[in-house]
Amino acid sequence: MVNVIFNKVQKAFGSVVAIPDLNLEIGSGEFVSLLGPSGCGKTTTLRMLAGLEQPTGGEIRIGERAVNNVAPGERDIAMVFQSYALYPHMTVGQNIAYPLKKRGVPKSEHPARIKAVADLLQLGPLLERRPKQLSGGQQQRVALGRALVRDPKVFLLDEPLSNLDAKLRAHMRTELIELHRRLGKTMVYVTHDQLEAMTMSTRIAVMHQGHLQQFATPSEIYNRPANTFVASFIGTPSMTLVEAEIEMAEGAAFLLVGGQRFPLPPSLVMADSRHRRPITLGVRPEDISIASGEAARASVKLVEPTGHESIVTLDLGGAHFVMRAAGDVALRLGEAVPIALRIDRLHFFDRESGQRINTDAERPAEFRSIAR
Amino acid sequence: MTPLERRYALLGLALIAPTVLILTAVIVYPLLSAIYLSFFSIYTPTLAGKAVGLENYRTILSSAYFWHALWTTFVWTAGTLVLQIGFGVGMALLLNQNILFRSLARSLVLFPYFISTVVAVLVWRWLFNDLYGILNHLLIAAGVIDMPVDWLGSMPNAMVSVITVGAWKFFPFVVIAVLARLQTIPEHLYEAARIDGAGTFSRFTDVTLPQLRDVLSIVILLRIIWDFKEFDLIYLLTGGGPMDNTRTLPLIVYQQAFGLNQMGMAAAYAVAMMVVMLVFMLAYLAYSRDRSTP
Ligand SMILES: Nc1ncnc2c1ncn2[C@@H]1O[C@H](COP(=O)(O)OP(=O)(O)OP(=O)(O)O)[C@@H](O)[C@H]1O
Ligand SMILES: [Mg+2]
Repeated sequence: MVNVIFNKVQKAFGSVVAIPDLNLEIGSGEFVSLLGPSGCGKTTTLRMLAGLEQPTGGEIRIGERAVNNVAPGERDIAMVFQSYALYPHMTVGQNIAYPLKKRGVPKSEHPARIKAVADLLQLGPLLERRPKQLSGGQQQRVALGRALVRDPKVFLLDEPLSNLDAKLRAHMRTELIELHRRLGKTMVYVTHDQLEAMTMSTRIAVMHQGHLQQFATPSEIYNRPANTFVASFIGTPSMTLVEAEIEMAEGAAFLLVGGQRFPLPPSLVMADSRHRRPITLGVRPEDISIASGEAARASVKLVEPTGHESIVTLDLGGAHFVMRAAGDVALRLGEAVPIALRIDRLHFFDRESGQRINTDAERPAEFRSIAR
Repeated sequence: MTPLERRYALLGLALIAPTVLILTAVIVYPLLSAIYLSFFSIYTPTLAGKAVGLENYRTILSSAYFWHALWTTFVWTAGTLVLQIGFGVGMALLLNQNILFRSLARSLVLFPYFISTVVAVLVWRWLFNDLYGILNHLLIAAGVIDMPVDWLGSMPNAMVSVITVGAWKFFPFVVIAVLARLQTIPEHLYEAARIDGAGTFSRFTDVTLPQLRDVLSIVILLRIIWDFKEFDLIYLLTGGGPMDNTRTLPLIVYQQAFGLNQMGMAAAYAVAMMVVMLVFMLAYLAYSRDRSTP
């Protein structure tokens, strides 16, 4: 098992700078997802690690070795492509054997190793078939098999599940988690599906326009997003982001939003005690609810029932909040309902920079253990 | 058959009838009439003659002239085919790379295929000329030879020259077909092979060649057929000489029909040629049937 380090890595395609400056340290045995919207540089990052793309600056290390000038075949990595890239004229067995053949693994060892992989991925009955005669999920397993057979140091996976239907995708997700647990290999996984990233990863690297936004455990990313981009990108429905202010008066703090004043607990009082500070407030849909007693009132703009829950849009003095409510919630459009915010779960971001400004002390971090 | 089905059947017949008629007129009729002619001894200018049964075929099969020409045709076809495929695939691989002026190079490569055979042959004859040809001039200047070489009038030079010009003239066809196929090979396959540890040569044999297999077998079949019956290039370049050493079967058909005015004999040669080609066709059909039923 080895770690992977990106040190000041830069990649430009001609005048297009895809990755301006990437620093990332992936621990040994981790399952790290590169997550971000289309075009943010996930694939480019993975391909640089694979050696299929040459960085225009900086250094990439796999374990002790700087690999910038090492050919893909010598890096001791395996990669699963989004398109699977199975060799069409070879049978499944030959596809899986190919990396062994090219690396001069003695022929006598091939059958045992192919069998081990075939057992692991339940490919036994398919070994004589050609890729064309397989379903998408089976092809995907063959691609995995070809990656696994060689026992590489690092696995790279570029959206391997994106061509599968929803049910098979959920199934393969569990299989991959199980596989990672069993092999304990370092894996780097590219996806734009936050559900995949959240469920599978030990840590997620959220990227946007070539910049690393946050690199942390799934729960940290969800509960303590580093900036407004991560906050709005992670979670469905998205976190509500509205303009607000924090006011300090006589040692007490208040949140001003939508013409309302919410008292904040003293623990939230920030060291930086400017009298009034403009912020961007972030509220997850589950952290706003209908209050039981007297409270600030918001009017119901929209109710979207999805079955087990309803997504309600509320208007609080011009600020729109999204609320997760019970599936059978009885709300009329235009009705004014009292609302409550879970003060301890609010997210405050600097209005200008978009960076998180909550102090670290207010809530114990719920780190998900890295060694899953 | 219900009336509706009958109407559909009639409509179908009406729709394919024109095609069938045209095919009959341009393919079946000439074919049958060639076979018919081959049973006669006919004087070309008057087209008058008498039936001789299988006499023409007996003459052909027992003449060393025919067997020599058949051999010559094989040598020409095999030689030029190998060069065409070799150069063609090589050039296609080159043009598939990100080389400078790629689109210009791609158009230039097609040049030999598009110019008229007559023009091409005139230029080559000028290059090959033993008295004032530039080829001899350059080779002497470079010190490779010290006497002018007779490129077209002696053996084996004449055959080598014909084969070379044929390869030059027709290799662009191979380039077009192979290049078109090369461009559809997914880049991911090469990347996967690189990660699996395959070097440049392995990537060619393990990824490129298998993908080219189908297109190459079609191209080779077509080129065999076309080269086998090639007439104008050889006729214009050497006229079949020296001493009939480049006289392939199509040239004999022409010679019999219009040089010796033996139309019946010419037809018999043509039919013999067709039988040889049929062997290739059947071999190919058997091959492709094998492939489609694994
Ligand atoms: N070969 C290339 N030439 C020029 N620009 C490129 C090339 N490859 C990628 N880019 C650019 O680099 C940026 C990052 O691309 P990349 O493929 O890494 O995105 P991605 O995060 O994988 O997106 P997606 O989710 O759509 O796959 C994009 O702006 C893209 O246009
Ligand atoms: Mg991508």
